[in-house]
Amino acid sequence: MCGIVGYVGRRTAAPLLVEGLRKLEYRGYDSYGVATLHRSVSVLKKSGRIPPDAGLGKGMKGKIGIGHTRWATHGEPSDRNAHPHTDCTGKIAVVHNGIIENYVGLREELEERGHRFRSDTDTEVIAHLVEEAFRPGKLQEAVEQALTRLEGSYAILVIAQDEPGIVAARKSSPLVLGIGDGETLAASDMTPLLEYTERVIFLEDGDVAMLREGEITICCNGTSVQRPVEQVTWCLDDVKKGGFPHFMLKEIHEQPQVFYETVRSVDVREMAIQVRSSPWLTLIGCGTSYHAGLVAKYLLEEHAGIPVRVEMGSEFKYYAPPVRGLVVGITQSGETADTLTALQKARSYNCPTAAVTNVVGSSVTRLADHVLYTRAGPEIGVAATKSFTAQLAVFLQLASRLSDGALDDAIGTAHLAIGDALRTELDDAVGLCTGAKDIFYVGRGPFYPVALEGALKMKEISYIHAEGYPAGELKHGPFALLTPETPVVAIALPGPTYAAMISNVKEMKARQAPVIGIGATGDTEIAEIVDVFLPLPDGPEPVPLLTSTVILQRLAYHTADALSRDIDRPRNLAKSVTVE
Amino acid sequence: MQAVILAAGEGMRLRPLTHSRPKAMIPVANRPIIAHVMDALIENGIRDLVVVAGYRKESVLSYCNRLPFPVTTVVQKRQLGTADALRAAAGEIHDDFLVVPGDNFIDAASIAKVKDVQNAMLVREHESPSNFGVVVIRKGYVTGIIEKPELAPTVTVSTGIFSLTPGFLDRMETTELPDAVMDAISRGMMMKAIHAEGWQDAIYPWDVLKLNRSLLARVEPQKGGRIHGSVIFSGTVRVGEGTTLGPHTTLQGPVVIGDDCQIGPGCCIMPHTSIGSRVRIEPFTLVSGSLLMDDVSVGSHSHLQDAVVGEGCSLADHTSTVRDESLFSIEGKVQKAAFGAVLGDRVTAAPFTVFRNCVVGNGVSLRSGRVITSVVPDGTLVM
Repeated sequence: MCGIVGYVGRRTAAPLLVEGLRKLEYRGYDSYGVATLHRSVSVLKKSGRIPPDAGLGKGMKGKIGIGHTRWATHGEPSDRNAHPHTDCTGKIAVVHNGIIENYVGLREELEERGHRFRSDTDTEVIAHLVEEAFRPGKLQEAVEQALTRLEGSYAILVIAQDEPGIVAARKSSPLVLGIGDGETLAASDMTPLLEYTERVIFLEDGDVAMLREGEITICCNGTSVQRPVEQVTWCLDDVKKGGFPHFMLKEIHEQPQVFYETVRSVDVREMAIQVRSSPWLTLIGCGTSYHAGLVAKYLLEEHAGIPVRVEMGSEFKYYAPPVRGLVVGITQSGETADTLTALQKARSYNCPTAAVTNVVGSSVTRLADHVLYTRAGPEIGVAATKSFTAQLAVFLQLASRLSDGALDDAIGTAHLAIGDALRTELDDAVGLCTGAKDIFYVGRGPFYPVALEGALKMKEISYIHAEGYPAGELKHGPFALLTPETPVVAIALPGPTYAAMISNVKEMKARQAPVIGIGATGDTEIAEIVDVFLPLPDGPEPVPLLTSTVILQRLAYHTADALSRDIDRPRNLAKSVTVE
Repeated sequence: MQAVILAAGEGMRLRPLTHSRPKAMIPVANRPIIAHVMDALIENGIRDLVVVAGYRKESVLSYCNRLPFPVTTVVQKRQLGTADALRAAAGEIHDDFLVVPGDNFIDAASIAKVKDVQNAMLVREHESPSNFGVVVIRKGYVTGIIEKPELAPTVTVSTGIFSLTPGFLDRMETTELPDAVMDAISRGMMMKAIHAEGWQDAIYPWDVLKLNRSLLARVEPQKGGRIHGSVIFSGTVRVGEGTTLGPHTTLQGPVVIGDDCQIGPGCCIMPHTSIGSRVRIEPFTLVSGSLLMDDVSVGSHSHLQDAVVGEGCSLADHTSTVRDESLFSIEGKVQKAAFGAVLGDRVTAAPFTVFRNCVVGNGVSLRSGRVITSVVPDGTLVM
């Protein structure tokens, strides 16, 4: 998982590429590099994060260049493993996002033929393969020939001495081209392009494109093809922090608006018809999207009476489950490799497919038969917040549609309660969490996945070990871990699970575990037995699902902030996982 | 020219309306007060805007992030005073600048008068000067500012709008801006007093109705949404996108209605009324001289007059607000005020509730149809 960017035009490429890479840092940030072409190819690459000074790359001449920000998959993060990678002659430079699965064999073969490798990466084989096929003026053909040898996923950009352009190619990794005024750009997503153009082309799998000044030609399987030019409506300001100390906090506070916009814009009618005619429904997601699927399972089974199974993308694709009926992939970025492969597998079983995603034109939208868009806007914080709320908005709408509007009233006013949940006082609860080594999150029914999501947020950004459990399961093992130093976050709302939750909380208190209770405003019973009580804003079912989620997001955020963590870029994590 | 817009203040005296938002974010004529202030500045070509957020800063920051033009935002960590707020913005100031409170209305004509004068302040006569900084002027120049005096020597008050130079910031030692200005005057600075044209402040929650009335006069007509053929319009009326106006509904401008509302059939929306977005008004209800914020719902056969209805209130059928006059004690000061009702956010009322000249707190729940008077604190449950 990495970010790549390329430029051909009238400006000096290097500073522009560095700026572009900064915008892609969410995809990975353990090393970076750029290569530019001015008579010959020159390369600058380093391990570590892009330093904040603006002068970086200023000494590099050339109006053609490529850049890369890396998240290590093959080979440790180091200067020598940073991209771009060059061939033996130093005339060809390559940046790559994805994984070449057969690189070990290719490398041995190339080494036998006398190629010298300077890195441990899979990418370097591409540079040497291109070198072997390269004839002056025929870079595109050379790349096409090299690609026939590769197995795996890639989005690549290649430059070569005496070639006035960039060759771009993709297979199962994202790549967007931008057409500006006398300049063309390429990048892993739209954010680096937006400053220069609003006109973009999404490459299809197998496409090889030649980028020259203001001109793009695309080939697929050796024949020239046309891809539609699309107009982007995002504005660049959408991706700034806007006065908030972190993107994550900004995005948490956008949730009332995001929820409302998604509810208003999403059209679930066709999907509802599909679901009704389906024997069962399979939801596939990873991480936070998987948790959204679990919440959706409770909603759809309870309100619409449809059997739902939820699978993790990474598991689903490795065994052969019997699948029938509609398969829905949930992915914020639309690029999550595991979810994409799982959907492909579902297609191979002739199942109808659908996607819930936030990114127009992303890979999943071209794979699935139906697409439901969340209206979360660009999400930059690595820890997903508003995209989760938006995904729930989609499934709430679907559940309501399938139960003759049973949830419409609650959904219509939920954004107000979400707004109130942004103001709940958390200082005491944060105080309990900051000193902890482990935290348990428990809930029952649909609050079980909410507990999972709360625990995920906590571990992602605060680095405190946190686990979510169904409250009843705690007794079947994890109870042994409770001590006066392990806080438990318990979600207990009036309803069928309330009495059971209260007795669970009492059992935890008997083990002297400090308990943070989340419950209904005015619930004195639970408020009396827990150490810190966090009242949820009033709202009919299923609004507490949303408000408790928001409170747990904020608890994780403020705990991480109190511990001075790098909230928007937690260690070892990247925003969208585009590799297996 | 830059402008620093102060939007950090809490507006304690405006409770319950300032529980979930700072004063600058109270919607008047369907837009936060700060939006009207920005209009006046931008109309004068002042585009380099610095907004200082503090109390409930997230609501200001999120709003600024959604604006179609760029705004710089800074955060004042603790609300120590207006000079302290200005200090929070000092890093963004590199030119002559205006300081403008984001929570008072100011018109473009007044900004035009002050913007090109170095070291000047906008002043205005006011009927109750003791609520403000009273300004003493000699030969057109300010000689004294007395904050909220018991006995005001003049009726001229400060609007809080100053035209200053970056050098002013270096010698600012106090936490309140009028004190800092007086220090500068005592050091020999000449501060010109300029009379403002349209300036208006809301001190108490019922003042919002008056401010709403003034700002509605400036609304541009628009007819969005789905409007039944039998709807009767007169005066200036603005209806947002996605709003449905049912048959035989009557609207008498000036009236502004937001997006995605459902009103009617047979409702009367009378002059000086603002209705936010996603508001539902059921049949045969009359609303007059009132301000309804977003997500309010009002049952059928209701009569709202001179009322401020906070976000997400849900009023059942046959609700009335009745205009009357009585005494209110706010922050230790007794005020006589005539209005119908001020309801905080998320008030719910059972059928046949009557609000008579009262201020009802946030989240108050009225479970049976009663007559409500005087003040009901936040979160009260009335059986």
